[in-house]
Amino acid sequence: MCLWALPAAARPVSYPGGWTIIQNNNANFSSANLHYSFTAKDALGFYGEQNWATDSRFYGAQYTRLLKRWNGPGSQANIYLNLGAGVAENFDQTDTDLAGFVGLTADWETRRWFVSYSARADDLSFDQNFRQNARLGFAPYVGGFGDLHTWFMIQLDNIPENETAVTATPLIRFFKDVHLFELGYTPARDRFLANYTRRF
Amino acid sequence: MSIKYLFTLLLAGSFTPPLIANAQTTPPAVASAEHKTEIMTAKVNGMVCDFCAQAVIKVFSKEEGVEDVAVDLDAQAIIVTMQQGHSLDDERIKKLVRKSGYALVEINRVVSQL
Repeated sequence: MCLWALPAAARPVSYPGGWTIIQNNNANFSSANLHYSFTAKDALGFYGEQNWATDSRFYGAQYTRLLKRWNGPGSQANIYLNLGAGVAENFDQTDTDLAGFVGLTADWETRRWFVSYSARADDLSFDQNFRQNARLGFAPYVGGFGDLHTWFMIQLDNIPENETAVTATPLIRFFKDVHLFELGYTPARDRFLANYTRRF
Repeated sequence: MSIKYLFTLLLAGSFTPPLIANAQTTPPAVASAEHKTEIMTAKVNGMVCDFCAQAVIKVFSKEEGVEDVAVDLDAQAIIVTMQQGHSLDDERIKKLVRKSGYALVEINRVVSQL
């Protein structure tokens, strides 16, 4: 049984020449992601994940492609493709093999509302799995550029193989300048969520 | 002494307002491009967060001749102040907005003579 969930990355693709650091910690895993955007639609970088539920880790490259963006008056919607390739191993290092994953993320955002859906399939050689999640967010106030932005969100994770197949994680997001920080709690797993994203 | 002072004030009062008015309303006979400052406001779609705004600022700031870039999320607008004697044509602005990841709606320009 594998409990790898999806990295919740805001805008994984940046502007040409931009770098993004994404660090996620939740009920299932801790991950680190360093991305370089070489166009406004393509980003390539390192992705590493330490999974406490499966006692396994993954290291490799991740490519993210912005497949489609809809820019509306006061809104934006995106579809992203994620491809990963690297090495996965058990914590006891009895299983080490080539691994990869493919994922799709769709989101829609205004300055008041946020909705997203992600799905990812992993092939770790010694384990294959699928998971999906969705998010709904609401900003209690609309701030200007450079202000502290606050969001209340709920994240639903579905991991079919998991004993608790669906979990809910209420979280709060703070967003200011190039820093994005999220703090949440998953009651079903009695675990905290802490994510940080920085763009430069 | 006090009469001289009063006379000086009267003289200043007589000449200063017309001089200021002239400087504000009458352009030089030949406008030099080197002394023009252009401010462009590009209205865009899709710019909904600070990451969006920063992408725009980074992309436009790298452009030659750009003095300052500001973003107004409420108005969905990018305000670009050019260095004296520099300009960006509409096609270039459209390309830079697209490079930032957004869609151009319209461009307004203000040229000030210094």
